[in-house]
Amino acid sequence: MADKALNVISICGSLRKGSYNRMVMNALPGLAPEGMSIKEAPPFTDFPLYNADIQNSTGFPAPAQTLGDDIRKADGVIIVTPEYNFGIPGALKNAIDWVSRLQNQPFAGKPVALQSASPGPVGGARVQYDMRRAMVFLDALTLNKPEIFIGNCAQRIDEKTGQITDEPTKGFMKQQLAAFAKFIAAHGSKN
Amino acid sequence: MSDNQVNVLVICGSLRKGSYNASLARTLPSLAPPGMSLKPAPAWDKMPIYNHDIQADTGFPAAATAWADAIRAADGVIIVSPEYNWSIPGGLKNAIDWVSRMKDVPFKEKPVALQSCAGGVLGGSRMQYHLRQCLTSIDAFLFGKPEVLVTFAAKKFDEKTNELIDQPTLDVVKQQLAGFEKFIRRLNGKN
Repeated sequence: MADKALNVISICGSLRKGSYNRMVMNALPGLAPEGMSIKEAPPFTDFPLYNADIQNSTGFPAPAQTLGDDIRKADGVIIVTPEYNFGIPGALKNAIDWVSRLQNQPFAGKPVALQSASPGPVGGARVQYDMRRAMVFLDALTLNKPEIFIGNCAQRIDEKTGQITDEPTKGFMKQQLAAFAKFIAAHGSKN
Repeated sequence: MSDNQVNVLVICGSLRKGSYNASLARTLPSLAPPGMSLKPAPAWDKMPIYNHDIQADTGFPAAATAWADAIRAADGVIIVSPEYNWSIPGGLKNAIDWVSRMKDVPFKEKPVALQSCAGGVLGGSRMQYHLRQCLTSIDAFLFGKPEVLVTFAAKKFDEKTNELIDQPTLDVVKQQLAGFEKFIRRLNGKN
């Protein structure tokens, strides 16, 4: 168990209201180990599409700076994302592209954990391995295991209540969050 | 423009004015075989960030429809794109995400060739392999070799005019376009 309180932020890769990944993200605080608080990062919905000319003329858009600041302040980041076309949703990748250009790049040395929910059986494996690759470039510290691939998510999550109904899924998520707490304590920034 | 030409649409993955990839995209007509005509695609940066709620409420944005129509009408597509954070630029991926949700997905069975320019030794290859994965998931027909991976771009484009001046690069692009024309004719039965 961590000696100090851990402040973790979560980022959801889907924007729609009825998103399964959002339901998974919302369940995180209730599954977190003692001492870890998890709250949602500021949104990336208003980021313009990345264009270096914007950066070099009017500077970084305010919401990108805000997200960058919050990532820097956090002890860890959990990304909960769907898989679009065998890869990372463009909007989420665009947000990462913006913050990756900030001075004092916020993902450098940052503990990151990944989760994905999908109606199909593979559960988002492709998006997570793509995300790991982007995180390597950004020098983040991505938790290796346990991995969380929530396949056939429609059978595990109640769309109406937004609750995860599958107990084993909740168990695995609890395990990952506990491992993430240890990981942050062992390898995170010691400030 | 003869009836027997293959009509190829060119999509550029960068938005900035001084982009090497945009410069390469503009050079393509001068390197094309006589049986191929090329034109630039409509803009992809006017599409909002993908959100299924938008799709469900107000339908597909006009920019997405225009982009999809142009892709459908083309005999083949060439995508010239930089690599952001070891992967596909979020903005370009966002455009692909939108059109992938249409009833008649424009990339289905569409011949596609890839090109990239980058500052370093890998020439955008990580992005290209992700893009192959992404487009294969929506049933595109990816052209194989030769690949166009323009490494150390700063040395190959003229400092002042930003024109592509490296002869070996110009030669391999010519080769790829000639091969792509044959590939399109074979797959589309347009002989």
